[in-house]
Amino acid sequence: MLALHGISKRFHDVTAVSDLTLQISEGEQIALLGPSGCGKTTTLRMIAGFERPTAGRIELATRDITGLPPERRECGMVFQNYALFPHLTVDENISFGLQMRHVPSSERRTRVRAILERIGLKGLDRRYPRQLSGGQQQRAALARALIMNPKVLLLDEPLANLDAKLREEMRFYIRSLQREFRTTSIYVTHDQAEALVLADRIVVMIGGVLQQVGEPHEIYERPTTIEVADFIGLSNLVPAEVAGVAQGLADYRTAVGTLSGLARDGLGVGSQAWLSIRPEHFRIVREGVAESLGSKPNHLHGTVTDTAFLGNLMDYRIEVGSGLRLRAQGSPGDAAAIGERVKLTFAPQDAWPLPKTPNGHD
Amino acid sequence: MLPERVDRALFLTPVVALYIFLIAPVVVVLLSAFNAGNYLTFPPQGLSLRWFEHFLESTSLMQSLVLSLQLALIVSVVSTALGTAAAIYVVRWSGRYREFLRILLVSPLALPGILSAIAILILLYAIGVGTRGMIGLVGGHIIVTLPFVFLIVSAVLVRFDRSLEEAARNLGAGPYMTFWRVTLPIIRSGIVAGAIFAFISSYDNVPMSLLLASVGMTPLPIQLFDYLRFAFDPTPAAAGTLSIVLAIVVVLISERLVGLDTVYVGGPRR
Amino acid sequence: MATTKVASTESRTSQGIRVPSPTSLLILPTLVVVGFFLILPYLNMLYISLMTANNQGAFERKLTFENYAHNLTDPFIWKVIGLTVQLGLLTVLISLLISYPAAYHLSRQPPRRRGLLMMLIITPLLIGVVIRTYGWMIILSDTGLINQALRALHLPAAGLMYNSTGVLIGLIHIYVPYMVLALLGPLQAIDPDLESAARSLGASRWNAFWRITWPLSLPGVLSGSILVFVLAISAYIIPQLLGGFVTITMPILVVQQVTDLLNWPEGSALTVIFFVVAVVILAAYARLMAFFMRGLS
Repeated sequence: MLALHGISKRFHDVTAVSDLTLQISEGEQIALLGPSGCGKTTTLRMIAGFERPTAGRIELATRDITGLPPERRECGMVFQNYALFPHLTVDENISFGLQMRHVPSSERRTRVRAILERIGLKGLDRRYPRQLSGGQQQRAALARALIMNPKVLLLDEPLANLDAKLREEMRFYIRSLQREFRTTSIYVTHDQAEALVLADRIVVMIGGVLQQVGEPHEIYERPTTIEVADFIGLSNLVPAEVAGVAQGLADYRTAVGTLSGLARDGLGVGSQAWLSIRPEHFRIVREGVAESLGSKPNHLHGTVTDTAFLGNLMDYRIEVGSGLRLRAQGSPGDAAAIGERVKLTFAPQDAWPLPKTPNGHD
Repeated sequence: MLPERVDRALFLTPVVALYIFLIAPVVVVLLSAFNAGNYLTFPPQGLSLRWFEHFLESTSLMQSLVLSLQLALIVSVVSTALGTAAAIYVVRWSGRYREFLRILLVSPLALPGILSAIAILILLYAIGVGTRGMIGLVGGHIIVTLPFVFLIVSAVLVRFDRSLEEAARNLGAGPYMTFWRVTLPIIRSGIVAGAIFAFISSYDNVPMSLLLASVGMTPLPIQLFDYLRFAFDPTPAAAGTLSIVLAIVVVLISERLVGLDTVYVGGPRR
Repeated sequence: MATTKVASTESRTSQGIRVPSPTSLLILPTLVVVGFFLILPYLNMLYISLMTANNQGAFERKLTFENYAHNLTDPFIWKVIGLTVQLGLLTVLISLLISYPAAYHLSRQPPRRRGLLMMLIITPLLIGVVIRTYGWMIILSDTGLINQALRALHLPAAGLMYNSTGVLIGLIHIYVPYMVLALLGPLQAIDPDLESAARSLGASRWNAFWRITWPLSLPGVLSGSILVFVLAISAYIIPQLLGGFVTITMPILVVQQVTDLLNWPEGSALTVIFFVVAVVILAAYARLMAFFMRGLS
């Protein structure tokens, strides 16, 4: 449905987006994820037509739209601050696009009424945007875009202005809307939890460069680079050298012993890597507690230096030797205390290597 | 250290005194207009509307009043059109000329009005027009009212949310349609405030009216000035009452439209 | 964030020729008006000031500095300049003194009350010089309110009109609102917590004001004084009505030269001199203030 070919955008001496190529199928829900300033909003604005790419081509439904002005593009956009017209009622806001298309007023009325009902704003059609709550404004902005049956729906950090609880509710609400409307959508967000919930595929951008594209699970468990691993979720990074490779697993020599983890193409014997282990993948075994059967092969011993009670989890910092401090999480019941000696175990499948950059730095 | 209350009273005294100082002449003029006697005494000599009658019966004053109102209307319309267009251009399009244009358009406020009026007068004589017709008068008035419109509309434009225009474009509106249906209605209040301000600036203007008006067409402030130089009855007070009412109306309207903060202090409404 | 390019400032016809695009039409009429009624007149005036005067009120195209020489060596001119500048400076000083407390007070008010009080300040501005000056005539004249009160109290009459004092009072009254408004902006922008912080560190109310708020408000003091000074030296009506025919300021003199005596070259030269004097004083003042404000960014 939507294809970006080698899209770049330069502002004077700053490159906001660098050689981005991406294919999005019809009905797909894509999240553009990355830290502030990574170029994701710029990319979205180029698709909508508010910025012209310095290089590259954009195709929508096989039509080259790179030179088209915004009003001819058939993309629907939901802005971060909603951009509802303050001088028009909700009804007038939502029917604005239909008016531009010269849809007869009787048909407009029917369609507006229908979408108001579907989106839960029934009865609010005569109100002005300032008279609506944040969540209602959000939905009005969505309705205004969706009523146009756009080829692709663009959402610029749609949930950023809502408080935490509302944000969570709206996340699931948007997901259910997606399933109902099946519109190809691109969300821009810096919130990884949001991306993980909303997207069929996540596009990770950092520093204007595409880092990785994949399904949420893949991005989370198998980040390709250290930048991606750093941005998504929490990670423990252990400096390692590949000692041996066999059958998809590899031995990694580290300052705290040899650990067994996943092997990866391109990281042969002798390569330098970061071994990445998610905190939740550690099993914490307290001293004196017998190890259960089927315990995991990797063992590390350490001392608890810090604990934090997060409600549903205990968060630990554990010193395992050679100045290496790891983060682990466990259940609050039977929590370890500061100063306690514990054993950390984890499976090789939970240890994923990330290449060190050629000059040996992170 | 003085007790808090005395301290406050000490501080508030000059403040209150200032407001009294500002309002006193205005009140005095109002009282004179309704006073029965020739000049204001305390206690006043009784109520009367004879000075209003005098004002309305005076051909010269009435003609001047009508001229001032007509002039203010024309000037206001032209200044608003020019000033709004200029503001849009400067805020949105001017690129590297922005500062230069801004200074140029606001400069009449910094230049002594009387000097600008003299300069225009001399130029008009040099090209053979002089004070014939209204061209000099209107032109002079436009020059001094345009900066106000420009400043007010610029302030409103600067804080205008551009994403509203983007949303309209996204929904299928072209550039002109977007301006007409979205931008203009929202900045309208600023435009109206600018127009009102231009109107009253023209109505009150002295330097341009003094030098550029042709014979027989004297704007009201100058007519009153001439009157006061030699006579001293309260007829001008009756004329002044009209000005006072006009001023109050303008202030109330501009407060409702854009907030006095925007117009007079130059900052966005909080 | 780059601005949305709704249309480029230039467009090309089908042959690729550049034409000025519609958007520049926005500024063109205004530029024409400003060019003809502002720039051209001043340039022309400069030009004429260097021409030789001619008895019929026109001028000969003969370059001369006589107009300037004549005026600059005339002691009367300097007396008038002196009086004008003096009145201007006094107006600025006294306006500043009485406006500052009110502006400070205003900046601390809640928005609603501030709006109401601002209406009190702005309404006189919109009433017009003639009417307000007339009000002062009623108050200050020998048969006016003040002298009536003085007579009732068996006190000697005060000569407050038809002299510089009357003119000064009138000038201050007219331009105080400008001063208040100029001060208000910067004062409002000063974080009220700053004074509180000073007081928490042991400063008295006065000290907190003098050492924190006052220096931060200097930009407003600067812009207000410049504004009021320019306005005060340009005043025409007030010196005429309240000064009798005795107090002659630059504007009165210049208008006389040009309209009554029809001597454009000299009138122009006088105007230019007037302009230059004002600019010089303002530049000196700005330099002085820059020195005092050197601590601020």
